[in-house]
Amino acid sequence: MVATERGDEAACRQLVDAFLPAIGGVARRFDRGGRVQRSELMQEGVAGLLFAARRYDPRMNTPFWAYASFWVRKAMQELVAEVTRPVALSDHAVRALARIRAARREHLRAAGVEPTRAELAAATGLTRAQLDSLLATDQTPRSFEEPLGATATFGEMVPDPGAEREYEQVLDRMEIQEMSALANRLDERERTVLWGHYGLGQRPQTLSRIGARLGLTAERVRQIEVGALQKLRKAAAEPPDAKGGGI
Amino acid sequence: MPKAGAFESRSPALTTPEDMSSEAALRHNAFVYESDDEYVARSAEFLKDGLEAGEGCIVADTRHGLAMMRDALGPDAERVAFIDVSSTYTRPAHAVATYYGAFLEQLRRAPSVRSVADVQVGPAPREWREWAGYEAITNVAYSHLPVWVLCAYDANGLPDPIVDAVWRTHPQVLSDGWHASDRFEDPRALLREFTPEPEPLPELRSFSAGEDLERFRELLARALVAEHVPEAKVLDMLVAGTEVAANAVRHGAGIEEVRVGRVEGRFVCEVVDRGGGFDDPMAGYLVPRDGTGSGLWVARHLAWRVESFRAPRGFTVRIWL
Repeated sequence: MVATERGDEAACRQLVDAFLPAIGGVARRFDRGGRVQRSELMQEGVAGLLFAARRYDPRMNTPFWAYASFWVRKAMQELVAEVTRPVALSDHAVRALARIRAARREHLRAAGVEPTRAELAAATGLTRAQLDSLLATDQTPRSFEEPLGATATFGEMVPDPGAEREYEQVLDRMEIQEMSALANRLDERERTVLWGHYGLGQRPQTLSRIGARLGLTAERVRQIEVGALQKLRKAAAEPPDAKGGGI
Repeated sequence: MPKAGAFESRSPALTTPEDMSSEAALRHNAFVYESDDEYVARSAEFLKDGLEAGEGCIVADTRHGLAMMRDALGPDAERVAFIDVSSTYTRPAHAVATYYGAFLEQLRRAPSVRSVADVQVGPAPREWREWAGYEAITNVAYSHLPVWVLCAYDANGLPDPIVDAVWRTHPQVLSDGWHASDRFEDPRALLREFTPEPEPLPELRSFSAGEDLERFRELLARALVAEHVPEAKVLDMLVAGTEVAANAVRHGAGIEEVRVGRVEGRFVCEVVDRGGGFDDPMAGYLVPRDGTGSGLWVARHLAWRVESFRAPRGFTVRIWL
């Protein structure tokens, strides 16, 4: 799952609330076969939405939801694949699945559209029952009769314009976990100087005024500020701890 | 190409492609697979060979992909580092920094590293170019490290421009066997091609701070607070902006103009200088070494995006928060 923290968490919740109906719309399109709960699909959809929010660039000339719905759907597909993944398939079943995949690719190449199950059965020589059974155990997230192309369903799933605007409104509070980590490198006096001088959560103050509060000269306050900024710069210049992106 | 269920336990073709004998520097290869089975089998084999040779190993994938890889690696999974791509592939500069950190972590206890990354391809062509640009950056950013990066691409539904970019950004590609790419291109030239031309932002407003960096920060902070940017992000922009402004003073013959404002929800700061600028598309993507090149690296790491370009008013570095 995408990490969330403080402001980021609140921003993510706001974004998720706005797009929950649209995520639900995607979840409804999945034939879950009783093995995946709707709530599980929704959870994965939310993870997909948050990933999309961090990657989205408005200059793609694609509305946010049109972009995000791709990742929402992909996250749900992966869950379905994970849950329905068989523990083991016989060699015979694996070979039959390979035949189905080859037939699907060949059909896509020749006709440019997904084959129906009847067409797959004809192409592979399997009975419809055998085909259905194999596909039910197949770990691939793609359902052959579900319209899951990257662009085919965008027009059908546009959420309301209010939700679309929500993305811009939460931008400031997203991805804030890295920045918070940076601020945590400062000690109390350094925070007092930076926050006071640059007017963060208060009116901006001169170095002399901050110095008077702290019992220091303006020059000493300036030195503290320079040191604090150097500390932040040094922290930002370090390659991040691998654990930041790891699990 | 092998199909599901037909994999060999050790494929010499996978682990010993031609021209791959050097262990001193980066090996950056692509692997185009047609099924999850093929991806898992070949990747696990690649990593197990590395573990056997005492190398550090990394897998970067989605949660589903990581689960499959953990299963395939069995007890060996304990010795492999796993990276969730959902928190890494958010923007190229962040991915470079994360991988660099992961490589260094592994290299503290192993002489070399193998990494498998399942590349996530989104729906937007503009994004394809951005992440193809990241592949070009990879060829330079880790070039001095003893790491072998295998970028895995799912062939199913892979858009043609991505297929094309795979061959242009990887010296060797594994599809139906190893192939040396005769279409591999200079990474800097490719990154330049893949980087979109920045558009003018007339909605920004300018302020003048002269050459005084403290005054620059005060005015920048005032603009950030006026736009209700949260404190933690203000701090980030102050640090990133200071780096860019300091570069303008030191290397750009001084600051000509600073422009700030909101664009598409994001706070933007442009620093225009009076110098000739630089023309390296990799600037700021490469981990600073020997104390040079750290200003743009810091800015790229803290900002959502950094662009540089020549404009009528002068050479401009634009920071998107």
